[in-house]
Amino acid sequence: MIQEARARVTPGIFADMPDAAATAAPDRESAEAALAFLTEMSPDLRGAAILGPEGEVLAATGEEPGRWREDAAALFAAADGAEGVPVEQVHIATEQGEVFAIRNAGLAALTVTDRFALASLMLFDMRSTLRQLASPNFGGSEPPKSRSGD
Amino acid sequence: MPPKPHRILLDRVSVYADEAAAFMRRRRIARRPFARLYYPHGRSADHAQDSSSGAELFVAAGRLIEVAGRKEKG
Repeated sequence: MIQEARARVTPGIFADMPDAAATAAPDRESAEAALAFLTEMSPDLRGAAILGPEGEVLAATGEEPGRWREDAAALFAAADGAEGVPVEQVHIATEQGEVFAIRNAGLAALTVTDRFALASLMLFDMRSTLRQLASPNFGGSEPPKSRSGD
Repeated sequence: MPPKPHRILLDRVSVYADEAAAFMRRRRIARRPFARLYYPHGRSADHAQDSSSGAELFVAAGRLIEVAGRKEKG
């Protein structure tokens, strides 16, 4: 009964949320500030990238931003192709590390972490980073709000 | 009659061995690779590594792990 009601009401609630809507791409400086904050917040993180609406790399760790674009496109293509429906989040755990990917507000974020990173916190941080980045008030000098609220 | 001291010792060792076996069992399950996709409205789906979609996901994830590289030990 409750499950039926939830299934009926939930899509309506989420349809009103602006997260899925594509927004204008933030500038690279803001994306780099957001990525630096995400990296600082997550001790398990090995590398990360933030992609714009066209899949272009806005900010990335490491020396090969071009490879992030290619490999992120391959990951999302494989994920979308699994059921023929666009995914919102991806979490893949391997022996070598864990990969998280999330789409929000027309942007995408990818992170690679050590094994056994706290998945829900990682995804929460990524989602809030993208939300902050997509909000019109976000400037490069102002970091996104931390989950602890400090 | 109280149990013999060596029985107590054996029981204790066997309890520790059971605990260790359970821990290893849980660890083996937790360490198993997985690929989980989350869809709109909270639905999620697991894809086994030996399925065709799962294999593609693991290959793509492996490439990303390679790009990210190893974390520098601070």
